Amino acid sequence: MSTPWIIELMAAPAALGFALLFNVPPRALWMCGILAISGHAVRKLVLTMDGDMVFGTLLAALLIGIVAELWADRHNQPGVIYAISAAIPMIPGKSMYQSVQALLGIATMGTEADGTALLITAGVHGVKAIMIVLALAFGIAAPLLLLPKRSK
Amino acid sequence: MKATYALTDILTLALKAGLLAHQSGAGTHRTSLIIQRTARVLGAMQVEVIISSTNIGATIERGHERETGFRKAPHMGVNFSLLTSLDSWLLALEKDQLNASDAQLALDEIAQAKGHYPRSVVTLFVGLSCGAFAALFGGDTAAILITTLGSSLGMAVRFQLVLQHFKPFVFASTASFVALLCTGLLRDFTSTPDTAMAASVLFLIPGVPLINGASDLLNANYLNGIVRFTMSAVIVLGIAIGISLALRILGI
Repeated sequence: MSTPWIIELMAAPAALGFALLFNVPPRALWMCGILAISGHAVRKLVLTMDGDMVFGTLLAALLIGIVAELWADRHNQPGVIYAISAAIPMIPGKSMYQSVQALLGIATMGTEADGTALLITAGVHGVKAIMIVLALAFGIAAPLLLLPKRSK
Repeated sequence: MKATYALTDILTLALKAGLLAHQSGAGTHRTSLIIQRTARVLGAMQVEVIISSTNIGATIERGHERETGFRKAPHMGVNFSLLTSLDSWLLALEKDQLNASDAQLALDEIAQAKGHYPRSVVTLFVGLSCGAFAALFGGDTAAILITTLGSSLGMAVRFQLVLQHFKPFVFASTASFVALLCTGLLRDFTSTPDTAMAASVLFLIPGVPLINGASDLLNANYLNGIVRFTMSAVIVLGIAIGISLALRILGI
């Protein structure tokens, strides 16, 4: 993880494409971008402090979820419109791809060949991707339950 | 003094609001709350709601009167603008700024509102967002460009197939195939082809069902949570099949 911090800014366009796809109101777009960058940067911070990816994703998702909920509450909007768009840039696309690629390697190898290494690669990347996605989904969903409810 | 509305009208309005929420990407808990709040504010004393992945229904009571209704909710899409308008609609209703017939008209207006962004703009921006993914994964400038191109093409295909009412599995596998094939054919221009190809299919990731699924599970709506997770798994399987077909053709 030696990429410069400036790359974290790319989380904003990554989130905004999806925000448009989900028809987020134009006035809410900038907050989606800011939350996306903050979340991604928090995850990178955890990684540079020798934390692991899953824990970093969980922390980042919790942060996004809490801020989105508080912000949306003040403006009488549903918090999910900010949280979901902002969470998208943390999807573990590379691990997913590596897993599928390794599985395809098993499918295409000769009958006598030993696929143990490929199976391990596919399994490790697949499990990692699943854990990151779950951390992301539960981290975003949790603040809705944990924050105190106003009387509504 | 509040006007008294017929129970049937209350139910119709509450179910309509619930249906709109359900089809715009609200979790089960939110949809249920919207139905309950709408019915209560219009004068129902007791409201019982049932929400499955394909149907919503409610029974509302006032004194000795009772009314039950169901609606089919076949398609779960995402429309966060609608969800936002629905929230302000409900708030206006609760603050007594709308009577039942005004509320009905306002709801029709919300349901028919066009999207904020034209299809071509969305297609391009989704492509750009996959390009940004390639950057986040450590790709070089060429990787960003070819990912943007491949994903925009894939996104255009997806839009086309969704408009023709193909099932998610079909559009996920076809669109990922197109996006990856296009990106893969241009892979000689970049020194980081893997990041470009990994990023090119990410526009298909079922983010909303995954997060709503988690939220449903945490809210103890176990069945609906599992349905949403299963839906996401089918879409991911479709993406994987599209990827594997494209990789075979590319000979990687």
